[in-house]
This record gives sequence, structure tokens and C-alpha cells, in this order.
Amino acid sequence: MSMNSGFWAIVRRESARMLSRPLYGLSMVCAPLFCFIFFTTLMREGLPESLPAGVVDEDNSTVSRSILRNLDSYQQTEIIRQYANFAEAREAMQRNEIYGFFYIPKGTELKASSQQQPVISIYTNATYLIPSSLLYRDMKTMAVMAAAAAGREVLFAKGANMDQAMGFLQPIRMDMHALGNPWLNYNVYLSNTMLPAVLVLMVLMVTCFSIHTELKDGTAGEWLAMADDNILKAVSAKLFPQTMLFLLMALIYIVLLYGYLEFPAHNGFWPMMLAAGLLILASQGFAVFIASAIPSLRWSLSLCTLWGVLSIPISGFSFPVMGMPEALQAMSYMFPLRYYFLIYVDQALNGIPMVFSAWFYTALIVFLILPLVDISLLRKAAHEYTYLP
Amino acid sequence: MWIKNLLDVCGKELRKTVSDVGVLVFFIVVPLLYPLLYAYLYGREVVREVPVVAVDDCRSTTSREFLRKSDATPDLKIISYCSDMEEARNLLHRHKAYGVIYIPPELDRTLEEGRQATINLYCDMSGLLYYKAMLSGCTMVSLEMNRDIQMVRLSGMSDREKEVMTMPIGNEYVTMFNPTNGFQGFLIPAVLILVLQQTLVLGVAMMAGTEHERRRRGELVLGEEYSNPITVLGGKGLAYLLVYGFTATYVLCVVPWLFHMPQLWKLPTLVAFIVPFLLASIFFAISISFFVRDRESCFLLFVFVSVPLIFMSGISWPTSNMPAFWKVFAQIFPSTQGVNGFARINTSGALLQDVRYELIALWIQAAAYFMTSLFIYERLYRSDKMPGVEFVLAMRARARRNVRVAVRDIRNDIEEAAERILEHRKK
Repeated sequence: MSMNSGFWAIVRRESARMLSRPLYGLSMVCAPLFCFIFFTTLMREGLPESLPAGVVDEDNSTVSRSILRNLDSYQQTEIIRQYANFAEAREAMQRNEIYGFFYIPKGTELKASSQQQPVISIYTNATYLIPSSLLYRDMKTMAVMAAAAAGREVLFAKGANMDQAMGFLQPIRMDMHALGNPWLNYNVYLSNTMLPAVLVLMVLMVTCFSIHTELKDGTAGEWLAMADDNILKAVSAKLFPQTMLFLLMALIYIVLLYGYLEFPAHNGFWPMMLAAGLLILASQGFAVFIASAIPSLRWSLSLCTLWGVLSIPISGFSFPVMGMPEALQAMSYMFPLRYYFLIYVDQALNGIPMVFSAWFYTALIVFLILPLVDISLLRKAAHEYTYLP
Repeated sequence: MWIKNLLDVCGKELRKTVSDVGVLVFFIVVPLLYPLLYAYLYGREVVREVPVVAVDDCRSTTSREFLRKSDATPDLKIISYCSDMEEARNLLHRHKAYGVIYIPPELDRTLEEGRQATINLYCDMSGLLYYKAMLSGCTMVSLEMNRDIQMVRLSGMSDREKEVMTMPIGNEYVTMFNPTNGFQGFLIPAVLILVLQQTLVLGVAMMAGTEHERRRRGELVLGEEYSNPITVLGGKGLAYLLVYGFTATYVLCVVPWLFHMPQLWKLPTLVAFIVPFLLASIFFAISISFFVRDRESCFLLFVFVSVPLIFMSGISWPTSNMPAFWKVFAQIFPSTQGVNGFARINTSGALLQDVRYELIALWIQAAAYFMTSLFIYERLYRSDKMPGVEFVLAMRARARRNVRVAVRDIRNDIEEAAERILEHRKK
């Protein structure tokens, strides 16, 4: 074996290639790091607080004012302004000044005192779903409490104590336990999948790009010759330095999430690090599979990109897979990120024994060995392929 | 004539676009199909029938009524009645169910005593929609049952009196603009705008990459034969605007219509908003395309940006709660203004004056990115790194030199002839 062939020679050659173009540094290090920092700092509040809301009080009575006084005492809602009428409040919503408002119609006090049950309305702007849902939760409680306050006064007047009053006003109470994320922290909820998702996207694209660039630049012959025409050796040696760099990025986000930000990781560091490492290898495997199957730089890169971008919604972390059309539910099994997400739910969020996640780990390994099916095509392409723009 | 030159560049750019499959994919195919995929994905808007398990330690009429009613809500579906929490937990771990309703043994006794009874809900937090479904489903049932319990306790009063007694002030909830309160209605407008901006960036960057490769090979590139960069830039901008006039019409008008999404815009408002958005996106694309060195690197450089961009727009995590730095940073991308403006024009029926801030910002962006493109074009023209320009200059210089030599030769010939004539006369 000469100096210029063998596994480590290709590794050295690939490292030099990666260093020679800023493109690799930008896409393998800068892009993921930017996203890591972006997502974790963007949502550092965890749960949005003091969402701007408004009030329309057309009644202007003692009752309506006593309701208003109670409204501002919630952490997540901040009544920023009182509007003169409904149209004004709606326009403020259209201008995005407020995400929702209370509407207390004229005659509320009159109806309340004449026992006609007036109705106060809650309006939220569901164009912005998260603030809208959160506001609704607060505003609904406020409205119920305002009503209960009135009823409670009556009961107290009749001689009931607090216990009895609550037992009458709300006989059955719901006690909600959010398992694993009791703070309803959005940063936990989104960043745990967003960070690996960006990394997967970059792995898929860089792997496919770096292999096909050899073909485009006409250096594939030299590359294969260095591996004694063994395509498996050629590919694994070429991807080795990339794997190392991506594993480092994975380590960075794992430490960032579970070490620095102290997100729940009930089974500790290793199950998640293992999942992240396998995710990288699975993505590389999948990219090699595509790169071998489609002997065109642009088309295989397009497919890898599509896969990377689609894996974000289809992994089901924001909109559950079971709410998707059946065809897409079936497709979700073809995305490595889906399995990573399931592992994260088991191992980090719920902290259940690893045996429950064994299949998901196995699935990631299947992606890794997927290229064995068609990698011979890549060898053929490397010998015969001509670049088409 | 500059206008002729401009139209000339525009025509050539259009021809180049049409003849490049890679660019056509970005300009036509992706905008055509990608929004459909997304709208299809979120087509059901909300999750229904979230599978949960029940653990009923009370086994009374009340507890059975509660579970029956919960099962009947559109939000929840009780897939199994477990004998204890251990069994329920096992189903949770195997992803068969996403929540547990636990009814404690003392439920009935507590109610009999007139005290407040508690029902415990445990929810898997892998998706917030499970939480939402469980909370709203069970709350609805408990409100209804509470009302019934109160009615019984207040027997002797008239029905109306009871109602007023139990709920002296009622309330109602209206989700405005996105009536199903679902995912499609909130996320798709943002995706549509982002598709427009990102496909423009990718397509333009791919062309710029191709030009760069050709320049490296020393070939001439379109536009360099015209000396004025403003003409070249204007022509290209016009060409992309023409293509994206059609693309945007399809993406912003046809796609939401196909999926029966809210469309409250008025045409003049939409046009007046989208034109500056497209202009800003076009010159933004041209500006950043200069960093692209070859045809395919646009994928690696620009695709991932879509992910943070959708969050920067504030459609998901509210803008009011973003750190100031990201709020300011987000302002440099046309998509931030585009998403906010379009979501409100399309979904909330906002008028032009309601999106005034976004509109002004987009015009400023369009102007600013035109200037940056111009600056970079100017520099490209003057740069001696460009074989294309060098080639033109060299040819021009050689031509001038040839002319000079020819003129000198002719002059020499004439002088020689004149001398000869003079000599002849002397003779």
C-alpha cells in the first residue's frame, strides 16, 4: 500500500478538502451553531408572559369595573389598553397590538341585577395560535372567576365558609399533571427537536454534496483509486472526518440542552447522546443511499434537502403524526428524525427504561446500513458519470 | 437607449431562466407543489380522539358518567380501562395512549359531603396538542357535570333561578379569523410567504453560482456587455418580478382557495403589499447570491435559514416575547414583514393602513437591497478578478492598438508616398 492510498489517506485528503472551502465550515459548524443559539435564546422565557390583551367596556358600571380590576392579576396576560368599542379593538387586533380582548356589552350590570344572566365575550386572534391559546386559557379563568366571585359573595352572605362555597361553585375540579414538562415550557417542547432537526438537514445536504462534488469535479477516479476501487472504503473514509465534526456538534447541543439549560433528561446523558450519534450516522446513511440511487448532484441534493426540511413537521413534535392524513402517517417511518423524537420522548422527557425505545434505536441503525443496498451504483457512477448542470 | 437595454437584459434573463431546469424547479415546481404538501399535512387542523386510558378507583355512577362523557367528547377517546396506574403507565410508555384520567376512590364521598372533589389528569407532554385536547375535553365535561350537581342541590328553585345562581355572569368564546382554531389556518400563510422568498433566493443564487463557474472558465456572462449596472439590475429584477407575479398569484391566492382557508383580502390591498415584498425579496436574493461560488452550494447555504426565519416572523412564538436582539435582527429579512402582513391581510382582513409598518419596512428593504446589489455589481465590474471583464477589456485594447497601428501604417504610407511624389517632382 502506497502513501497515497488507504483509509487514513482518504481521511487526510477529505480533511484538506473541507478546510479548503469556507462552504463546509459555514454549513457544518456555523449554520448549526447559529440555530442552536437562536432557538434556545428566542424562547428563553419558556412560557410567554404578559401577552398584550385589551378590554372593551361598554357597560361602564360597578360590576364591569370590578371585573376589570380582577383581569390584570394574571401572569400571562397583560391588559394594555381599554378600547371604546368593538370595532376599535378589532382594528387593534388587526394591527397586531393585542392578541385578544374582553368584551363587556352594555347592560351587563342591569341584567346581572335583574337575574337575566348577561354574557361577557372573549375574543382571541387565532392567526397567532400560541398566544391565542394561552390568552384563552387565562381569559376563560378570569371570566369564570369573575362570575364565581359574584356567586361566592351570595354564598358567604348565606353563611357558607370557603370550603363549602368552593364545594358548591365547583364540585368537581380538574387537577392537570403535565408529565415531564410541568412548566409547559415551549423551549423544552420545541428546541429538543428543532436543534437536531437543523443538524439532520445539514448532515443530509453536506453528505450528498460532498460525494457528488467528486463526480462533478472529475476527482472521483482519484478518490476511488485511493481506496483500491473499494467504494465502501472510499465512502466511509471520506465521510469519517465529517462524522467526527457532526458528532462534535451533536455533543454541543446535547450539553447545551441538558447540561447548561437543564432541560429534563430523566435517563441522563448517555441515552440521548447515543440517540444523537445514531441520528447523525442514520442521516449520513440515508444521504449515501440517495446519492447512490440518483446519479445527479442537483437531483439527489434536492431530494436530501426535501427530506431534511420535511422531517421537521413529519416527526410530529409540533403537530402530532396521528392528526395527519394516513399516507403521511405511513411516510413518517421513513424519516430518521421521527425515531429520534420518539427516543427523546421516552428517554429524556418521560425517563422510561431503555428497552421501550429499543426499536427506535434499531430503526436508526437500519438507516445506517441502508446504503449497502445500492452503493455499487455509486461506484459505477463514479467511473462513468458525466456532470449535467 | 437604457430602456431598450433594460428590456434586452430582462428578455435574456427570462430566456436563461426558462432554459435552466435547476432554476425552473425553484421558480415553478417547488412553489407549485410544496405548499400543497404542507396544506395537506395540516389539513385536519386539530387532533381529535386523542387516545387516553382511564383508571377508575371510585367505580360509582358519577365516575362512570364522567368517563362516558369524556369518551364522547370529540377531543378524547378512552382506549382502555385499567385496573391500576401501573397498567396505565405501561400503555403510556408503549405510545398506545397519551394521557391518564385518574378518579380517586373518595370522589363520591367528597361530593356527598358538599366539599370540592378532585379528578387527576396525567398528560404526556410530547405534543402540546395532547395537553390541549385533554384539558379542554375534561374541562368541558366537568363544567357540565358541575352544573348538574348544582341543579340537584338547588332543587326547589325554578330552572332559570338555578341557572342564574350557578352562573350569574356567563361567558362565550370566539376565535377570530381562524375559526377552526387549527394549525393550517395559522401556519400555512407563513409557509406560503416563506416559500416565495426562499425559492427566489435559491433560484437566483443557483444562477449566480452558475455564472461564477462560467466566469472561472473565462466565459462571458450576461450583462457585462452593458456598461451600466443599474440597467442590468433593473432588467433582472423585472424578469424575476414577471415570473413571480404568476408564482405569487398561485401560491397566495389559489393554494388557500384550494384548501378552503380563510381569505379575507381585498385585491388592491394584497397587490399593494405583495409587490414591495417581491421587490425586497428579489434584491435581497441578488445581494446574497454574490456569496455563492458554484451552482449547488445554494442548498447548503440558504435552505436551513427557512427554519429560523419562520420563527423570527413571530407567527409561532409571539413577537412581544422575543429578546430585543432577535426582534431587531428579524427586521432585515423581507419574510418577517411579509409573513406578518400577509397573515393579517389574508386571515384577519387587515387593510393597508393596518399593515402600514410592514409596508414601509418592505419598501425600505427593497431600496436598501437594491443599493447593496448595485454596490456589489459595481465592484464586480471594476474587479480585475473577473476574466470576463478582463477579456472584454483586453479585446477592446487590442482593437484600439490595431487601429492605432493601422492608422500609423497608413500615415507612414501616405508620408512615404508624399515623399516619393516630392522626389519625383524634384527630378
